[in-house]
Amino acid sequence: MMLIVGPLFSGKRQAAMDILGWSREELEKRAVWDVQDLAASAEDLPALAENLSHRDVVIATEVGGGVVPMDPAERAAREAAGRLTCLLAQRAETVVRVFCGIPTVLKGKLP
Amino acid sequence: MLTLVVGAAASGKSEYAESLVLSAGPARRIYIATMEPLDSESHLRVERHRRLRAGKGFETLECYTNLPSADVPAGSVVLLECLGNLCANELYSPAGSGDRAVESILAGLEHLRRQCREVVVVSNEVFSGGNRYQGDTLTYLRVLAEVNRRAAASAERVYEVVCGIPVCHKGGQMAYAGV
Repeated sequence: MMLIVGPLFSGKRQAAMDILGWSREELEKRAVWDVQDLAASAEDLPALAENLSHRDVVIATEVGGGVVPMDPAERAAREAAGRLTCLLAQRAETVVRVFCGIPTVLKGKLP
Repeated sequence: MLTLVVGAAASGKSEYAESLVLSAGPARRIYIATMEPLDSESHLRVERHRRLRAGKGFETLECYTNLPSADVPAGSVVLLECLGNLCANELYSPAGSGDRAVESILAGLEHLRRQCREVVVVSNEVFSGGNRYQGDTLTYLRVLAEVNRRAAASAERVYEVVCGIPVCHKGGQMAYAGV
């Protein structure tokens, strides 16, 4: 599994298509994105990470860079999102961070 | 050559961008200021940036909207600060281009690139604090992100400044094993 992370609107899905030579249809079939939003409602984060790790590409938006939210639910959601991304990175063969559309390999090698 | 310097608030991006201008050698140095000082806080911010630039030989050109019309001297070295303000002005100022903000700014960058010897552009990293945005804030983030991505695609060099340290993403020494 390749994990692609990066700030909001940084071009993560486009980077996946460029790296793997995929069309938009292939991306929709073989990748899953916005997984940070799945974390909040997950009972078991390691199980969620394990499930996601069977996909070819998992894409997560970095959401932990701002001030700690006042709202407890938002705080918990942000915490879960960060933890999930760490669990995914452990399971990923390749981790790529996209910044302003430019990918950088943080772990492993590109296929 | 176009260099994009991106960083979070108070990351040291301006200072690094100025150092790139100085290292470009002797030339007319033009600082394109994009923040219209409308309150006392913005006046203080302008003063701080003027002190940083003092003695470095910059001429200031104010350009709040319509970058393609900026009257920059041929062969000069330009520092544009910053895309975050320019996007806000294009979107929300009465003189702005509204829906055409992205195209106007990118055309402006090409205008600078054609006209000047070196162009250093400062932009803002404001995209890691969550994804629950709505309305004008969401529009602003989408527009600035597209400008950042497209400016990065056309730039010869892209740096992210992290606590004063430049991390090169394109066109120079890579901090990590690059793609």
